[in-house]
Amino acid sequence: MFLEIKNLKKSYGEAGNRTEVLKGVSFSVEKGEICVLLGPSGSGKSTLLNIIGGIDTGDEGYVSINGEKTEDMKEKALTQYRRKHLGYVFQMYNLIPNLSVKENIEVGAYLSDKPLDINDLLHTLGLYEHRHKLPNQLSGGQQQRTAIGRAIIKNPDILLCDEPTGALDFHTSKEILKLIEDINQKYGSTVIMVTHNDALKEMAHRVIKFRDGNIRKDYKNETRIPVEELDW
Amino acid sequence: MKKTKNPLRKRLFRELKADFGKYIALFLFMVATIGFVSGFLVAAGSMQKTFDESFDKYNIEDGHFVLKEEASDSLIEEIEKKQIEIYSDYYVEEDVDTNGDSTRDGTLRIFGEREEINKVCVLSGELPKTGDEIALDRVYMSNNKLKVGDTVSVAGKKLEICGIVALSDYSALFQDNSAMMFDANLFGVGVVINDTFEAFGEIHKSYSYGWKYDTEPKTEKEEKKKSDKIGEKLVLTAMQEGNEIEEFLPNYANRAIHFAGEDLGSDKPMMTVLLYVLIAIIGFVFAVTVNNTVEKEATVIGTLRASGYTKGEIFRHYITIPLVITFTAAIIGNILGYTVFEDVAKIMYQGSFSFTTYVTNWNEEAFVLTTVVPMIIVFIVIAFALGRKMSLSPLRFIRKDLDKKKKVKVIKLGKLPFLTRFRIRIILQNFTGYITLFIGILFAALLLMFGMIMPSLMESYGEDALKYKPCNYQYILYGPYEIENEQAEPYCVTNLKMQDDFYDEEEISIYGLQEDSKYYKEQLPENGVMVTSDMAEKYQLEEGDIINLQEEYEGKLYAFRVEKIFDYPTNLGIYMSMEAFAETFEFEDGYFNGYFSNEELTDSVLPEEQIVTHITDEELTRVSRQMDDSMGEMFGMVQVFAIVLFILLIYLLTKQILEKNAQSISMVKVLGYGNGEIAGLYIVASIWGVIISAILSLVFNTIFFQFLLRIFMNGYGGWFRLVISMEMYLQMFFLMLGTYLLVAFMQFLKIKKIPMSQALKNVE
Repeated sequence: MFLEIKNLKKSYGEAGNRTEVLKGVSFSVEKGEICVLLGPSGSGKSTLLNIIGGIDTGDEGYVSINGEKTEDMKEKALTQYRRKHLGYVFQMYNLIPNLSVKENIEVGAYLSDKPLDINDLLHTLGLYEHRHKLPNQLSGGQQQRTAIGRAIIKNPDILLCDEPTGALDFHTSKEILKLIEDINQKYGSTVIMVTHNDALKEMAHRVIKFRDGNIRKDYKNETRIPVEELDW
Repeated sequence: MKKTKNPLRKRLFRELKADFGKYIALFLFMVATIGFVSGFLVAAGSMQKTFDESFDKYNIEDGHFVLKEEASDSLIEEIEKKQIEIYSDYYVEEDVDTNGDSTRDGTLRIFGEREEINKVCVLSGELPKTGDEIALDRVYMSNNKLKVGDTVSVAGKKLEICGIVALSDYSALFQDNSAMMFDANLFGVGVVINDTFEAFGEIHKSYSYGWKYDTEPKTEKEEKKKSDKIGEKLVLTAMQEGNEIEEFLPNYANRAIHFAGEDLGSDKPMMTVLLYVLIAIIGFVFAVTVNNTVEKEATVIGTLRASGYTKGEIFRHYITIPLVITFTAAIIGNILGYTVFEDVAKIMYQGSFSFTTYVTNWNEEAFVLTTVVPMIIVFIVIAFALGRKMSLSPLRFIRKDLDKKKKVKVIKLGKLPFLTRFRIRIILQNFTGYITLFIGILFAALLLMFGMIMPSLMESYGEDALKYKPCNYQYILYGPYEIENEQAEPYCVTNLKMQDDFYDEEEISIYGLQEDSKYYKEQLPENGVMVTSDMAEKYQLEEGDIINLQEEYEGKLYAFRVEKIFDYPTNLGIYMSMEAFAETFEFEDGYFNGYFSNEELTDSVLPEEQIVTHITDEELTRVSRQMDDSMGEMFGMVQVFAIVLFILLIYLLTKQILEKNAQSISMVKVLGYGNGEIAGLYIVASIWGVIISAILSLVFNTIFFQFLLRIFMNGYGGWFRLVISMEMYLQMFFLMLGTYLLVAFMQFLKIKKIPMSQALKNVE
């Protein structure tokens, strides 16, 4: 088992006014899977993603990757864990405005001892022609591709995507999803993607549906379809 | 595999380019500050080294004595038994006419060829070779606008100036060692060839003999002991031979030799403190800038941290520009310090003192003080400002939740008018920004205070010194000498070195007064001593405290209990009764060694030879003049610096507040508010912030300045009482407000440019 989440609980707020965001979530993900976490706003999926990503902590339970529990890690180890194993993609691209596309991707490459070939990746991302442009010279889709490039260049074990198409139109969203699928196939990265777009479950190997901090449904998608065929 | 270089580095140059105006202003400011201080420290250090080395290099005497008549061989032989070697160093003192108008333009002390001791340093031109040539001291020449090739008339004899020289034993041109200050306009020194010297005749000749010890004394105490013995022997031998001693002056007591050296380091504490205050202010501006960049780029930082960048990597990235700018400014500042600014400082010193050939020396202390320390200050200020933020989790950055404090409940503003409530809300919303603005104003006001107050302090010191002086004439005698004069009142005085943990050793006068003194109305305490108010303020003394002093040469320690503090600004003195004085210093009852008098005691009443010195108004105001001489011009520069920095700070800080509010401003515009109304809301809110900050900064800085003054005064004897008039406060306040209004006008132009579309942008 590659990624295991066991009885994970998390709540926010002061005593007397506490909101339980995760109410004892357990599931596991196999290496190389695309796992889509589905659910409405406030269902706890982003919180779960942040805990997996080591940027937030659970109150109870644990997250384990390759047998290493994140809760046992001190801050330094947690940073190393993120550095070695994770790539992050957010809804907002969070690119560095005064670095070019290529340089933004190099920011990710710097973190790895064995980064992917940047020119090869730029071709995969469809950004080779735009590699010298600054983020403000790009479309939203191109910016998100750059953000994915920055996350994937270090060849992470897990690519965490938080609403990666949330700010994009239909066609651009499909382009991005196609890219994520390609990366999964080409580099074998495990992808955990948070979304409230129900249609995306079709592209996943694994679908976990959330509601009010609980897993409502957790199943393997035996009839997954290519991204090109997705519609919503 | 080759490790990829951190690509974030590529941002640095682009950041610099993007904010070029701001960074270049800070850079130039730093270069000027560091350059000036570095130049000053290098010049002072080099001068000090030149001065210290001159003792060996020019074989400066260990002391000299002047006899009424030429010493016999037997007298010389007898004195040399005290393990010294004696050298003739005769001189004549003659009136000089420097401009050919047949009037006296001062006095020249002229020596023959000095080849053994007190050798001459030729600064320009050459030493005299013929009978009608003279080489003169540089400072005297400069003050009298003389140059090589000019002719001066000395005792009616025309002499052409063939060289500019420094006489190694006259770095300060004291004609009379008992004079408190020297006058290099009216007194100068020079050398001629021996034939010319002899031609001046005997009338104005002084038989001066310099001595060198066979074995150099190791301590001042030993030197004093040795010279005392030489003095005793000389008195005896001269008396036996029917000769008279006109002057006996060991090296350590010779002010012409030592005064310049003592003055050299006195400005250093003030200069370095000023440098550090300025660097801390620039560090603060950097910190504010970096802090704002971090806030602006919070989501990027969060993403980088989430991707595995460490806190250290992020912190190093953001601190690199300030440190690179500081380092570059320090290096360029130092280069300018060693070239341009050193000359400025050198000219400042050389205007007063006749130093031998100046050689610029590498000064590692100055380099550390002007390079390493500024880097450390900037690092600490930024680390302090960013440290807390950097420790936040990546998630907090991603959510732009960078305030550590818990969410504050909304403050109810009751029935205040709408616009007032709106402005209060603006201030509350930007509270951190206003706190930063306050700190910025606090810094700038400190600098402004420094520039404006110091000249005024010096001026009032001079006035107070004359206003509070106990009498018009104060004489110090070699020993008791009775005179008949109703105005003259005897007193005792001696000097001891104050022992204090904070200040360098300083000479303090201890007075013994008559019980019913007409010049000091204060009732003397029966036990213990009374001290002046400035003494108490400088050394933070209270009644009941014990003060420790030490005799300079014998090392004997004295402890006095402060029984009373009395008002006497500008004076650092300890007072007791004459009886207590005699008992303390083991003199016979009735001992005295001075007179206070409101009328001048002429030679017929008090012979000149009885007088060690008489304290003039010049001496009373010496501290303020000394400071004015060395720092006067600088205070004007500091004022300009302060105002420029103040404008820069206010502009940057209020700009940040405005930028943060750009969204709200454009939203208010969308609602239909005009530019004037918006300026009325946001700028008026800032005005409140500036007014409150200005008032508070004046209050806090008055307290802080008192502390700084203690550091400044470390290099100077005496004490400046910090008195700031209401007029001065008002001047500073309105200067700050005026500066802000200028910035506000620039802000108004900026507000006009904020587009309404800003309000409609996606807000995370």
